[in-house]
Amino acid sequence: MGAERVREQQGSMQSPVNWALLGLVIERESYAYKLAQRFDRTYEGALSLSSTSHVYTALRSLLDRGLVEEVPGSGTGRQPKPCYRATAAGLEEYQRWLVGQLSEERRRQRLFAMELAALMSEPELARAVIDGYEQECLREASKSTVGRGDGADDAGSQLAERLASEENRLAVGARLAWLQYVRSELRAIGERRPQGR
Amino acid sequence: MSLLKLEAVQKRYAGPPRGRVVLSETTLEIEAGELVVVWGLKGSGRSTLLRIAAGIEAPDSGTVRFEGRDLATHGEDLLGGGLGYCERTFRCAEGQGVLEQVTVGLLARGVPPRQARLRAQRALERAGADGYATQRLGSLDVGESVRVAVARTLALEPALLVVDEPTRGVDLLERDGILALLRSLADEGIAVLASTAESTGLAGADRGLVLNEGELRGAPPAELATVLPLRRAAAWRATG
Repeated sequence: MGAERVREQQGSMQSPVNWALLGLVIERESYAYKLAQRFDRTYEGALSLSSTSHVYTALRSLLDRGLVEEVPGSGTGRQPKPCYRATAAGLEEYQRWLVGQLSEERRRQRLFAMELAALMSEPELARAVIDGYEQECLREASKSTVGRGDGADDAGSQLAERLASEENRLAVGARLAWLQYVRSELRAIGERRPQGR
Repeated sequence: MSLLKLEAVQKRYAGPPRGRVVLSETTLEIEAGELVVVWGLKGSGRSTLLRIAAGIEAPDSGTVRFEGRDLATHGEDLLGGGLGYCERTFRCAEGQGVLEQVTVGLLARGVPPRQARLRAQRALERAGADGYATQRLGSLDVGESVRVAVARTLALEPALLVVDEPTRGVDLLERDGILALLRSLADEGIAVLASTAESTGLAGADRGLVLNEGELRGAPPAELATVLPLRRAAAWRATG
């Protein structure tokens, strides 16, 4: 079943946990309990499972959408546990989801800029918000990990840690530069304003 | 008493744009074992701030004290003697070899050659540059040059290391190694004051500061009062 057909039939998948889990299955096929362990290691601090059974619910949703499939595991018990593998549709949808994240991120930043613009008529308030936001940016940039993500257990988690750290640092840099622009605008507004206001 | 203290420091650029304020009533305190990184856009005055903090450049007004001593009167004694300013460039006249470059500063301060060589080797090792001690400067990449430059300053056993844009031009995958080096120096008790034009250079800092239009902003040192002793204790446990 094609990715487009899946979307048409079931609507787009909203759960970030489901998408994150699909990413792990794409990285390598796994048993459900292994996926739960890898999920905790990889997405620690960013996403969490409500319980271990959350993985089974998410996998069921991915199976229903044709994004993953079961393949026989290597177990030999009476009820051998299935292993999960991404389908071609899963790969395609995951790509689309990742690219779509950018517009979501842009939407949130645009919303913040508009909300801040509403404060520009109250320069003192706006300056306080900018100061606070700048402090948060500095804290965020400082707390980023340096090194090669060696704290993580496996190569996949280490890479994820390094990529997330770099993305965070660069995003904060863009915001810090943007805040300097906001300050310039604020100062210009103050200079244009008639005295006494 | 803070290791380094800038009080009401003012500085204007003499050249065009005429009279532009680079530092306005700037106050900054740095404690031993603290890694402070100043972020700013191009032309914000980061380098000027660091040169003033190291006593290389004088402020128009205000005071800079290192271990309580005013740099205006004791600057020459303190630079290279407790206060280390890390120059990223090398003077060809001081030798083409890595070990020579790190040794020359010690020899100039009267350290006997054998001891100077040992201290230089230890500093190279500490900066993660011992692998290219026998190489010529011209064969080093940017990251390796930075490590050698840091080693050259470390050989003088500074209590404060001032380093301007340590990660500028460094290969992306090598950059964090330089930042981790600065972090580890701070964990050992050396205060580090660095600057960066890239937010990536703030990683691992105890305090990040923004310099913009003469104003230095950031977390006050008070926030660190509880963090630093714990960190130092952890570092002590790790080494002890």
